[in-house]
Amino acid sequence: MAHDQMNPAIEKILSNIEKVMIGKRNVAELSLVALLADGHVLLEDVPGVGKTMMVRALAKSVHASFRRIQFTPDLLPSDVTGVSIYNPKEMEFQFRPGPLMGNIILADEINRTSPKTQSALLEAMEEASVTIDGVTHRLEKPFFVMATQNPIEYEGTYPLPEAQLDRFLLKMRMGYPDMTEEIEVLNRAQKVQPIEELESVIDLAELQFLQKEINNVFVDSTIKHYIVDLVHSTRGYSSVYLGASPRGSIALMKAAQAYAFMYGRDYVIPDDIQYLAPFVLSHRIILKSEAKFEGITAEDVVKRVVARVAIPVKRLEVK
Amino acid sequence: MIKRDFPTFILYTFGFLLIWEWIRPLEQLTTTQNINIFILFLLTCFLLSFFQVRWNWQFFIKATYILFFLNSFFYKDHFYKLKWLNSLMKDLKGNLWNLVDRKWDYLTDSFRTLLFFILLWLMVYLIQYWLIKRRRIFIFFLMTVVYISILDTFTPYSAKIAIIRTVTCGFAAMGLLTFYRIIEKEKVKYDSSFIRKWMIPLVAFIVLSATVGFAAPKAAPMWPDPTPYFQANGHKGNSSGSGTGEGKIGKIGYDEDDSRLGGPFTGDKTVVFRVIATRKNYWKVETKDVYTGKGWIESGAGTEQLEPYALIPVFGIPDSVAKTHELATIFPKIKRNYLIYPAGIQRMIPNSNEVLELDTNKEKITSFNVDHEPEQVNSYEADYEVPKYKLTDLQKTTNATEIGQDFLTRYTRLSKSLPSRIKKLTEEITAGKTNWYDKAKAVESYLNGPDFTYDQKKVAVPGENEDYVGQFLFKTKRGYCDNFSSSMAVMLRTIGIPTRWVKGFNSGDFIKNTGGDPSRQIYEITNNHAHSWVEVYFPNQGWVPFEPTKGFTNTVDISYFTNNSTTSKSQETPPVPVKKPQKPEQDDPSTHVTKKLNDNKKSNQSVQIFFKKHWYYMAYLVILLSVIILFLYHKRGRWVPYYILLRYRFTRDDKFLERAYLVLLKQLERYGIKRKKHQTLRQYSDYIDTFFSTREMTRFTSYYEQYLYNRKMGNENWSEARKLWENLIKRTIA
Repeated sequence: MAHDQMNPAIEKILSNIEKVMIGKRNVAELSLVALLADGHVLLEDVPGVGKTMMVRALAKSVHASFRRIQFTPDLLPSDVTGVSIYNPKEMEFQFRPGPLMGNIILADEINRTSPKTQSALLEAMEEASVTIDGVTHRLEKPFFVMATQNPIEYEGTYPLPEAQLDRFLLKMRMGYPDMTEEIEVLNRAQKVQPIEELESVIDLAELQFLQKEINNVFVDSTIKHYIVDLVHSTRGYSSVYLGASPRGSIALMKAAQAYAFMYGRDYVIPDDIQYLAPFVLSHRIILKSEAKFEGITAEDVVKRVVARVAIPVKRLEVK
Repeated sequence: MIKRDFPTFILYTFGFLLIWEWIRPLEQLTTTQNINIFILFLLTCFLLSFFQVRWNWQFFIKATYILFFLNSFFYKDHFYKLKWLNSLMKDLKGNLWNLVDRKWDYLTDSFRTLLFFILLWLMVYLIQYWLIKRRRIFIFFLMTVVYISILDTFTPYSAKIAIIRTVTCGFAAMGLLTFYRIIEKEKVKYDSSFIRKWMIPLVAFIVLSATVGFAAPKAAPMWPDPTPYFQANGHKGNSSGSGTGEGKIGKIGYDEDDSRLGGPFTGDKTVVFRVIATRKNYWKVETKDVYTGKGWIESGAGTEQLEPYALIPVFGIPDSVAKTHELATIFPKIKRNYLIYPAGIQRMIPNSNEVLELDTNKEKITSFNVDHEPEQVNSYEADYEVPKYKLTDLQKTTNATEIGQDFLTRYTRLSKSLPSRIKKLTEEITAGKTNWYDKAKAVESYLNGPDFTYDQKKVAVPGENEDYVGQFLFKTKRGYCDNFSSSMAVMLRTIGIPTRWVKGFNSGDFIKNTGGDPSRQIYEITNNHAHSWVEVYFPNQGWVPFEPTKGFTNTVDISYFTNNSTTSKSQETPPVPVKKPQKPEQDDPSTHVTKKLNDNKKSNQSVQIFFKKHWYYMAYLVILLSVIILFLYHKRGRWVPYYILLRYRFTRDDKFLERAYLVLLKQLERYGIKRKKHQTLRQYSDYIDTFFSTREMTRFTSYYEQYLYNRKMGNENWSEARKLWENLIKRTIA
């Protein structure tokens, strides 16, 4: 977005992350969008491209506690949320919080675990609280989950149901670094891992303030129209079995607000929507099986829809 | 809620124009004068209403207006002296009593004027109510159209243009009102673009329908013109007022008052006479000898009862002229008590007991019953002579020496104010002609020449100081028989040739041969055949008819054998009217016949003829216009930007930016760099800037984004935005 000046706080965070991450600025940006919009991210990628590094750098930058859960088929919900254990000394059950009780959680290979555990996590994400033995424990604020899933290992995986995919604000890929970037990665690998030395640039209170600011970003009715137009178009699209839900519209708007805020604007423009639409909408669309056989992906569909819906260039008359 | 916006103003304008159509004919058809005062009053009423002046002020202004003009028209005292108000009150009181007594004729002009003002006042209120409250005008519009068409049909008022004005105004008003009705019914908020969307097709449709309506061929009237019928029933065949006031001049069929000629002629197909005769004849009713400058009157009066079977004492055909005897039977078809007769009449024999009387001055024959009350003759026989002139004899006359002085004076008299150039013209025309006959023929053929047009509708009435003949000869050159015949008669008189003006009917329509006698034919003479012509007096030859009217012929038998001059004997001065006892005849107010045709038909035909004649010009024009439009469209990239620049130069509207931006997009599209509809403004402006290697589009777009997506636009940026925009527009010209 060449026209806009980055919000200084955001710029600080991003450049901080860039100290440890080479390239992948867009992924960092999108993660921040999700963090600011109070949403969660699903990263679909092969192992070893720096997902963990990304999240840790992000957590460090905002001075948040970072937890990592490695999902395995035998992981139980209580392993995630925590468990009450009888303390014989005190003669009562004591709650031992699970790894979910942090600010920024990396849920690695989420599709490897059983649906039971998956749903425990996703419920926590949605409600921002967990209930164990009848006691509701509020999760810390901010609460940000970055889940990853491995796209090629279909053996022994439990694909996330559509309803649960909907809970993620964004779904994205990391992708491999290009040649020069990868060489730079090698160069860095020879030195001390810099992640340990990474300083935080803002604290949690500041982050929460930024999150509140997002809501003040103005969304004109023309833009709302445009969002709804886009989402509607996914519903009628020929190769789509089930289009994006109204939750998708909300997500798109929220993400766009965050994105506009990052770029120092207090209003959303169609460019924000166009940029974010594939990340926000593609995992909310269920394709027909014919389309899948033809090799059409949900991202393709969203891109085509974006290329089809007209941009508003006139004010809507308020009636 | 009544608003004071532009569309409302337009509505008021249409209302005003419609009501104006009601007043326009008044000046022509009635004695109403100072029509502008009433129009101004209407205008005032509409303006007051439009600006929503408080009712008491409105009342005050209107009342003052009315009183002021009442005062200046009808009262001597100064307006501010207020003394005149007393007389006004008195007048009002008297008139109100007259109203109660239904003595309509006694109402004074001032009271009528007052009533008219009040009527207009009410009409304005009504129209305002229809336009603004009810949002309906159809009834009024329809009434206006009906009013105008009735006037057009039954009066000399020509609504050719009026009907176009009315229809255009009415349609436009109705179109606008429909728009408002829909808006109000659906409770939609609308902006100006909405109106434009409505107005453009509306205007297009109106223009189209008006043009088509004007250009399309129109059928002739399906029924005969009913006016004369009304007339005949209305007042006993007397002076044709045609329901209008005294100021108007115009003729309908046969008319007896010729003191003021001019104005349009309205004929009709009412059959006046049916004639059984052996040949075609012009039918005389009367002749007139005094030209006043405005028309013709008779120099005196004298009646003589005609003895049955006696010769009728009118100027006959001298014995020196060869002639044949003919007999005709005439059946009057409508109630007229004058009798028509052919030139050379000898005897008239009514088939019933009526008494015939002759006006010796006008040579008009009328019929009475035994109690001397005007009575129509059922049918009568006319015994007459048909002359056979010899050209050489006619050409013998070169001066008036053989004519008695009194006679010469009577038939060469001219009006005092006759323009001298008539004489000059006549002398020019007759230059080189030595004898009277050649001179008369020269004048006749001059009037038959290409300079003059036969027309019954667009015929002028001479002004106060204008001569009827002078106006026709030098100014209008357009008229019907009265114009032509009067002109010839007057012109010949200026060079000393005695003439008289003859009124009657031309030979009429041949219907069929009679069953029994193949030599006798039936002719039908209608009001359309009313006619006037000229008789020129030649010593020894008598009164010889001439036909100066374009398109008419009066067959006068003239033999061109030169060696055969019959009469050498110079006749006595005035040919003495031969008096012979005949059946009694009566004198009766004679009517004069003027010939006029059906007018409406004529104007329709002229439109058709115009289109027939000029269709290729029109086709050419249409093609030319299309080519120009196509060219302009093709080259629109060249001139549209200038137009746009000019158009938005002075706009300070908040919406300027939006309009300007959209216009710019359109202009860029014309230039060939079209925005794809999914392309965001930033992507597009990047593209444009790369194209032109500037940053202007991006900068301008950022203002527009502020306006569009943020609903904010700093005032301080106006001038900068405008400059960027102008630069961009200019770039598209290059």
